[in-house]
Amino acid sequence: MANDRSVLITGYGIVSAIGLNVSEVLDSLLANRTGIGSIKYLKTGHTEFPVGEVKLTDGEMERMMGIAPGTPTTRTALMGMIALHEALASAGMGAGDIEKAAFINGTTVGGMDKSEQYYLDFIENNSHDAYISTHDCGSCSEMIADRMGRFKYISTISTACSSAANAIGQAAAMIRLGDVDIVVAGGSECITKFHLNGFNSLMILDHDQCRPFDAGRAGLNLGEGAAFLVLESRESAQRRGVKPLAVLSGYGNACDAFHQTASSPNGEGAYLSMTKALADAGLNPSDIDYINAHGTGTPNNDVSESQAMRRVFGTSLPPVSSTKSLTGHTTSASGAIEAVICLMALKHGFIPANYAFENAMEDCVTPVDKVLKGVSLNHVLCNSFGFGGNDSSLIISRAE
Amino acid sequence: MAQDLKIRIYSARQISIQEPLQESWMDAPLTYTDGYVRAVDPDFKQFVSAGDARRMGRLLKRAIATSVSALQEGGVDMPDAIITGTGFGSVENTELFLDALVREGEQMLKPTQFMQSTHNTASSLIGIHTHCHGYNSTYSQKGLSFDCALYDAWLQFRMGKIGSALVGAHDEMSSVFSEFMRKAKHVREGEICSEAAISVLLGTDESKPAYCTLDGLKLLNRPTSQELSDAIHSLTDGCKLCGVMTGMSGNRENDSWYGFLNELIPDVPLLSYKQIFGVNFSSSATGLYAAACCLKKGQIPACLTRNGAPVRTDGGILLVNIVDGRHYSISLLKSLCGNY
Repeated sequence: MANDRSVLITGYGIVSAIGLNVSEVLDSLLANRTGIGSIKYLKTGHTEFPVGEVKLTDGEMERMMGIAPGTPTTRTALMGMIALHEALASAGMGAGDIEKAAFINGTTVGGMDKSEQYYLDFIENNSHDAYISTHDCGSCSEMIADRMGRFKYISTISTACSSAANAIGQAAAMIRLGDVDIVVAGGSECITKFHLNGFNSLMILDHDQCRPFDAGRAGLNLGEGAAFLVLESRESAQRRGVKPLAVLSGYGNACDAFHQTASSPNGEGAYLSMTKALADAGLNPSDIDYINAHGTGTPNNDVSESQAMRRVFGTSLPPVSSTKSLTGHTTSASGAIEAVICLMALKHGFIPANYAFENAMEDCVTPVDKVLKGVSLNHVLCNSFGFGGNDSSLIISRAE
Repeated sequence: MAQDLKIRIYSARQISIQEPLQESWMDAPLTYTDGYVRAVDPDFKQFVSAGDARRMGRLLKRAIATSVSALQEGGVDMPDAIITGTGFGSVENTELFLDALVREGEQMLKPTQFMQSTHNTASSLIGIHTHCHGYNSTYSQKGLSFDCALYDAWLQFRMGKIGSALVGAHDEMSSVFSEFMRKAKHVREGEICSEAAISVLLGTDESKPAYCTLDGLKLLNRPTSQELSDAIHSLTDGCKLCGVMTGMSGNRENDSWYGFLNELIPDVPLLSYKQIFGVNFSSSATGLYAAACCLKKGQIPACLTRNGAPVRTDGGILLVNIVDGRHYSISLLKSLCGNY
């Protein structure tokens, strides 16, 4: 039995408001260019809220993926296909490799974009029944995976905004235990009227560009997108002759056990998820060179997360930023989108900025407000927290 | 890494279309003729206060009741992990929110309905209720959701990260969504569209009384016949099987997926549970619950067997759950009585 249980990252793909692929996203991060703006693609009356939309119509995405018009699909599935396609290509995975790999997707919205459009048809007639089968989260993962080949296992995690982070965490467990050589894990989520209105009913949407950790922050901006990482055992990567881009060195998952939609004042769940991730990676807080915060921009999250970061890192707090200020809050996909951003930061030696930050406040950490270039990063921490206090942290490290 | 790790099932509790939180179904199952049947609810007062109950949908009340009941029976105050599978989550609140959004527009929508529409509310509410800060996750993969959750627990046990896990499956139904279940063929001709809330408490403490052990679990998407055969043999070699708990329902298309078992393990009696508990996205959890109850009692009751005769459980029960003819979950439960 091979003793090297490292979990290598050998490929990744991304679609988001700041770019439709890895190179566009990297350009936007380096230029500190936000993808948040007026609503253009979602049909809603709530045009007062800025959002981070993927700048493609469903039809354009279908054409990109070579899907025949009229084939039942959903925006979440389409974005997932684009990101998965890029991830598989970047890891050099062919049909034979896919058959040996598992696919774990994080989503919560699933096919709600079509359900909210055709709900009355579902009830009153048979005109759009095909979209009933695309409503649930699991069908979304199947559509994404099936487009690329036959994965040996397909699963969907739905822990709200930490879904993709938990998908990556489970992937790591499967590889460490030797259950499978390759797992492609991440998440996909489109903006829907359903959750735009849900977040609005909770009064946590900012009417302006969001400002995580800022004294004047007033909520989050919803975003959308998809990202997937290819996680692989060292043995498999060597056999396939692919070079690791980084190592998934730690994962922590904890429950805040406080409230369904609010975070505890002392950030207990966040504190535990970060602490567990550090222990899992065998690292000390001082080893972390950058934190990609959950940082939604809601008054509650940013204070709670700041308290938790201070508890974990004390005086050795590394640079922190929330890239949700650029991408919007991509909910279930955010863990994977931000993990890809962390990978880019490691690979290209920079720290992305917390866009639109102006005023520091005592209760919050002060984030990095401009792009820091020419830095050498060894270990980065990526936080994803979900409704219900489903808190998860990932640590991504430079490949030796 | 202990590959031969045996996880014990300390307790398993259900709220379903059978009498809740008890095993009277083994001898006298309730029978139904309707195509859509909702669960028989217990009195929730012993599990949640009246104030809390008013804020919770049925799925959440059932999740709390089965969880608390399983924890009590298993003698565990706080599990190390809480993992849930649900296909649709809180259907009732999802439908209310969606219906209001579509019919009345984007005004006056209720935050509570939105909050409860999120799939992970059961796992997180159980976390809040038990003050458990441990590992917490939720899976939503149609009728494979519980199997995915159980696999996650299996991974966490094998990594040595946990010593106990509360694994649940919670799906509720509404008349509108039951029609959707039919239209999407999640429920087929001849099957009862039902609801289920199952909580299973697992752990590694050998001093605790237990129903049975969970000896292994394999999940496969579109396996080749060779992969299927390998998976079943690797789980069952050296084990005396007294039955295979299948998801056969009487529907011809559904049952055809299980035909390979006759060739692969021809002498093992096929069992089924969907005629007792109906069909929903948490069905496979009712199958595992039923199998665990059989191993605890030492007998598979007549209502689960094909020939209507009870079978003594002096070995293992293999569980085979096949979803849409493509997702396969194969797991093995073993009796704790005697040496097998």
